[in-house]
Parts: sequence; C-alpha cells; structure tokens
Amino acid sequence: MSTDDLETDLTRNTENTPRELLTRSFFFLCAALSVVTTISIVGLLVVEASKFFTITAPLMDVKGETASLVDFLTGTTWQINNQEFGVLALVSSTLMVTIGSAVIALPLGVATAIYLSEYASAQARSVLKPALEILAGVPTVVYGFFALIYITPALGVVFPGIGTFNMLSASIVVGIMIIPMVASISEDAMSAVPDELRQAGYGMGATKFDVSTGIVVPAALSGIFSSFILALSRAIGETMAVTVAAGAQAKFLNPINPASYLEGALPMTAAMVQLLNSDITGGGLAYRSLFAIGLVLFVITLIMNVISDYVARRYREVY
Amino acid sequence: MATDTESGYAEGFGQVSRTVGTVFRYLLLAATMFGIVTLAVLLVYVANDAIQPLTADAGWHLTFFLTLVVPTTLVGGYLYRRNTDALKLGSTVVGMLAVAVLFSGGVAIVFVDIIPPLTGFSYAVGLVIPAALTVILTKYERQISFTPRVAATGAAFFLSLFGVPGYLHSIPELVQKAPVVPSDWVILALVLGGVAALVVGQYIARIREDATAGLIAGVAALVVTGLAALLGPLLGYDSNSFVVVTAVAVVPTATYAGGAALTRKRERIGLLLAGTVIVGSLVGAAAVDLLGFAGPQSWVNWQFLTNPHSSSAERAGLYPAIGGSILLMVTVAALSFPTGVGAAVYLEEYAPDNRFTRFIDVNISNLAGVPSVVYGLLGLGVFVTYLGQATGTVIIGGATLALLILPIVIISSREAIRAVPQDMRQASYGMGATRWQTVKNVVLPEAFPGILTGTILALGRAIGETAPLIMIGAPNVLFSLPTELTSKVSAMPLQVYAWSTLFASEDFYTKAVPAGVVVLLVVLLAMNSIAIVLRNKFESES
Repeated sequence: MSTDDLETDLTRNTENTPRELLTRSFFFLCAALSVVTTISIVGLLVVEASKFFTITAPLMDVKGETASLVDFLTGTTWQINNQEFGVLALVSSTLMVTIGSAVIALPLGVATAIYLSEYASAQARSVLKPALEILAGVPTVVYGFFALIYITPALGVVFPGIGTFNMLSASIVVGIMIIPMVASISEDAMSAVPDELRQAGYGMGATKFDVSTGIVVPAALSGIFSSFILALSRAIGETMAVTVAAGAQAKFLNPINPASYLEGALPMTAAMVQLLNSDITGGGLAYRSLFAIGLVLFVITLIMNVISDYVARRYREVY
Repeated sequence: MATDTESGYAEGFGQVSRTVGTVFRYLLLAATMFGIVTLAVLLVYVANDAIQPLTADAGWHLTFFLTLVVPTTLVGGYLYRRNTDALKLGSTVVGMLAVAVLFSGGVAIVFVDIIPPLTGFSYAVGLVIPAALTVILTKYERQISFTPRVAATGAAFFLSLFGVPGYLHSIPELVQKAPVVPSDWVILALVLGGVAALVVGQYIARIREDATAGLIAGVAALVVTGLAALLGPLLGYDSNSFVVVTAVAVVPTATYAGGAALTRKRERIGLLLAGTVIVGSLVGAAAVDLLGFAGPQSWVNWQFLTNPHSSSAERAGLYPAIGGSILLMVTVAALSFPTGVGAAVYLEEYAPDNRFTRFIDVNISNLAGVPSVVYGLLGLGVFVTYLGQATGTVIIGGATLALLILPIVIISSREAIRAVPQDMRQASYGMGATRWQTVKNVVLPEAFPGILTGTILALGRAIGETAPLIMIGAPNVLFSLPTELTSKVSAMPLQVYAWSTLFASEDFYTKAVPAGVVVLLVVLLAMNSIAIVLRNKFESES
C-alpha cells in the first residue's frame, strides 16, 4: 500500500529519538519473550530427557542410573519402583482418552457449528455462544471431580463392572470440555463460506438441509479438520480431569477394545502429576523420566498443531 | 426460504424434504444443547451437595419466596413487558452489586490480612509522592528533554521506594516508623475511600459535565466510607471489612445507579428492580431471624471461607487457598498484561514483514497449544532447578502461569489492536505524531476494551489451572495465608484437587469438595460474565 510509504516518510525523522528507541525496544523484548519461552521449553526438555537415556547420558556427562531408549519407546510396563519405564503403557491410555473424547466431541462439535452458523437466530446465538464458552471455562479439576463423583456412579448403573477410576468417565468429561473448541473453530470456517454458494444451492432447488450438508460442510472441510486436530491435541495434553478420574495404576490397555474403557489406567499427563506427588529427589531417575514423558507429550502436541496449521492453510478453499 | 413455495407441484416435493430438514434441525439443536445441559445437571448436583437447600425449614423458603422471589418476579415481569431497556439497567445494577461485593471480599483479604493496612499505606504514600513529581515534570515537557526526564522519574521512584541503604530511609520505612500512626480503619478509609472518591468524582463530573458536582460527589463518597467505619461496630461487625465493602462495592454501585437515574430518564424505572432485590433480601433475612426459621446447612458458609484446611471435612476451609489464588492472579496480571500487550503492539504496529516476525507469529500460535503440564515442567526445570528458587512460591507460580497465558493475551490483544481502523492511525500520523504517540494516544485507548476482555478471560483460565502449580511444587496443604511473593502458595483448584485425591473419603466428597467447587465456579463465572458483558457493550458501541 502506498500509505505505508507515507507512514515511513512521515515518521522517519522521529524514529530514532530516545523515546521512540526506548518504547520500540521494550515492545520488541516483549515479543522476543515468546521465542525465549519456546527455546527454554525445547532446551529444557531435550537436555533433561537426554540425561535419562543410556544412549545420550554420556553426552551430557551424567553418571548414575539411566534407562534404555528402546525399552522406553517399546516397553509396555510402567513401574518406577522396578525401574521399568515403558512409555507405551502411558501412551495407550492417553490414546484411549483421546479416542473416547473424539467420539463425543467431534460429531457434537460439528453439529453445534452447523446449528450456530446455519440455523440459529441471532438471539439464540447470543445465548448459546457464551454458554458454550462457559463449558470451556470450567476448570479441568472440577470436570475431573464431576467424572469421579457423579458420572462414574451413573455409568455403574449401565455397566456394573466399571471401576471407581475408569477411562470412560474421563473420556466423557474431556469430550465435553473440547466441544467448544471444535464448535468455535468449525463455525468460523463455516461462516467464512460465501453466501453466493448458499444462494446458488437454493437456486438449484436445494433445501436448507442439502445446502448445509452438501455445500457448507464440504466447503469448510479444511477448517473443520484443523479444529479436530487442535481439539484432540488439547485432549492429549489435558491433565487434571484424567488425573482425578482415570486412575493411578499404569496399565497397558488395548484402545480398540471397548471393554478396556471400563478399567482405569494412567495417561501421560496423570503420570507426570503422580511422579511429582511421590517424593522424587531432584536429579534422580524418576525426576528425569518426568522430562522424558514431557518431551513425548510436547512433540506429539507440537506435531498435531503443525499439521492442523498446515491443513488449514494448504486445503483452504479460497473465494 | 427456497423450499417454501406456494405452488402445489413443489408442495408435495418439499414435504418430504421438510421432514428431513426438521429432523436434522432438531438433531443439531439437541447436539448443541448436549454439553450445556450435561454441565447444567452436574452443576445442579454439586450445588445441591454444597448448599443443601433442602435442609432448610419450609418457613425459611416460604419467607424468602414471599419477600424476594414474588416481588422480583412481579417487577421483572412488568418491566419485561413494558420496558426491556429498563429491565436491562435494573439487572445490570443487581449484577454489578453482586460482582462488586465478591470483589470487595478479595480486596479485604489483600488489604487487611495479606498486607497489613499500615504497610499498604506506607507504600501508597511512597508511590504517590514520585507519581506527583512525574505529573509536575510532564508539565515541563517542552523545557526538559526526554532522557533527563525519564532518568529523573526513575530516580524519584527508586529513591522513594528503596531509599539509599545506610544513608537515606525510603518513604515506606519513614511512614512505618512514624511516632503516631492512625488506626487501621482510618488508613483503609483514606486509601480505599480516596480511590473510590477519585473514580466517583471523575464519573459524576463527566456525566454532569460539571467539575463542582464531581468534587461534591467525591467528597460525599469519602464521607460515606468514613461513616461506614463508624456504623460497622454499632451493627456488630468489624469496621475494617465494613469500610472495604462500602468503598469497593456500595459506593461505586450507588454512583452508577444514581448516575443512571439522573441521565437516563426513560430507563430509570429499572432501578425499581434493584431496589426490590436488595430490600427483599434484607427484609427476608430480618424476618427469618425474627421468626426463628433455620436456613440450609450449607457447607459454603462463613467458617468454610475463613478457615484453613483441616483433616476433618466439617472443619476444613478454603481461606489460604482463596488468598493464594488472589495473590497469584495479581502476580499473573502484573507480569502477563504489560508483556502480552507489548508483544501485541510490536507485532501489529512495529514489526517489519520479515522472517523473524513470521517466526514469532507461528511460534506464538504453537505456544498456545502447549499443554499446561509442560509449562509446569518449564517452571520446575528453569525456575526451581536452574535458578535455584524455592519450590511452590507465589512468584514462581505467578511467573509460570503468566507464561502459560501469555500467548492467549497476545492473540486476543492483537485482534483488538487490529480492529482499530487504519484511518485513525493515519489521522494521528497526519497531525505529526510519532509512532509511540500514535500507539499511546490512539491505538491503545481504542483497543483497550478488547484487550481488557481478552486479559480477563485469560486470567480466568490461569486461576483455574492446577497442573502447573503441582509441577512447581506448591504444597497440597497450607495453613496460613501467603503474605509475601516468596511464601508458599496454594490455590483454590489445587485445594479441590488435594481434597478429592489425597483426602479421598466420603466426607470430603460430599462436603468440602463440592463447597470448594462452588466457590471456585462462582469466582470464575463472575470473571467470565464481566468479560462477556464488557465485550457485548464494546461490540454494540463499535
């Protein structure tokens, strides 16, 4: 834009006075803080996790006990007291919570988005949207308590064999928690579909149902898909609800088998909280395993965020 | 709609589609309501466990039904049919009073229990003196150039707050050592009443466009606060808390209501609703007391709010956790608001379009997706292990939570700044303003409501977080209020977590935990509703 040049022309003379320099560098430092945060997170996780594995520990000049990287990535038993660190036991239960919450949140979230963007009156929207925001605003520890105290006993009526701690109730509350995320991002994508497409549909004699499912949803598909991935990444990182409701005993369960949802297990995030609550000495093997799990968690969520971003950019229909 | 044609030919064709469409529509509505209804049911359950309304005498319910519910419904119904704007005004005043009373509770904890009034007063004096000096210096903006002015201001603040060790006492020290100090309630009335008077005076002066009216209103606010201190002991309450509630809740709400009564003639009948609610509750409470009806055996009671943890669920309280949450919130706000807004200003107003800027951009959106427990690890690893700080202190918890919400604050502030029309910036540049002057005088004031909304929502997220606090080693059980930035901190969600896992027993599940959940949710709901009301007001204005 030509106005940009105009701005630079007009502001050039004052750009380097002490006041401008001072304020500009303050704002720059604030923005740079986010980069520092990322570098600290990555650096910290990598350094501490590499002290944990036998293969990388010599690089960090660490003596003492270490764990095998292969055993960590392929083992299915997680018992700290026996020095068994098989992260698959934790990953499998995280996967179960993710699948369970996806079954609830994805269809409901998309349906909510269609309703809000295509059907709801302005008045209904002004009530429903804040209500959905409250759904996302309730602290996760409260959801965990709800799952443990109210939902599990209610599920016990249907499934008598259900454990006090079980994956099903945890999945249900995590699913409810991420509905608003799916709904709001999908709705943004649907609202961005130009009205001409809808009008064209009606012009061809399509009903509102046809237009919603046959035109709006396909046109907004990239946004919907990216909302799915973001919401699932949120479900993976969700901590307190699963810590309170899913259990404390690490166990390798088959995520595909529906019956295993009635049992309790220990997702990655809950394992981290548990490690912190058991007294671990700073610098010990258990302390470092915390960072190893943290690294796995960080890498998984980062990959999902990047994929979601890529999908939203690459497959977006441009009008 | 396209399907609602009049012709008979399309009628039969459309009939089939209409059924499918109707079914689909209601399925969508049901899906939308599923989460909301589930949460509502769970909330009813937890509220029932915490407050136990059914344990009250029937007479208690009847009294309040007659004095509060019936009149409010009648007035509300009348206003709804006649004048919805007035109803809006009335409910705003009621909501404002409720939120302000809640807020004054927090202020009372901070300024009475956490910071002793004298200490608070001494720092207030220590801040006011250099601030006054800064204002005077700003008047000579043209004579003194920028660099010495900033240096002088910085030196004034530093000398006033810290002094020169060994040579010169700082002002807070001097005030604390003063031979004659006023009693606590006088200090509170002066400081909080002074702030309230300032706000009230400005508000009235603005709406009446009359500086004298503002002055009178300000003095009146100060006098009312002082009277409250004298009235408190007469009614059998502590004068400190009476002063705080008056200065923070009663005076501002009364001013807003009074201002509305003066300026909005068509809507002022709505104040009747607020009056009905207030009078109804007071009359109901007096009648219940007089007739001897017992209220519900709520677990959310005064004792729960003011006691520390106990191993028996009946005596367990939330007080240190409430104080901890407030301190954490203040720390998080102080750390994340300036940096978040600063980063947003840089990215929107200053940043050149180059690789580094794009990297920051991508980086921030990825940081927003990092799980909170990983931020906890960051706090544990960097602050505790590498920087050698003590575990679980207010400052570490605050810093960790501030980093956690920083991306949210940045993203919402950027949206607010982006919404400021480009014309306004160009007009400012056209008048010869520099970039910083444009940011300070045009962009930030315009974007402020949006920034504030985003920050309040982010703060709500921060005080609901538990995992980062566990990771940095905040104690599960704390028996006293944290009083300094380096004391151990607990928080409401952390206490709820501790009760529901470490003290897991039927007693805690049915008494202390539901009560804690209710208190936590009330605070969060109040914050969220402030944010939503602010946003609606802001959106309807622009």
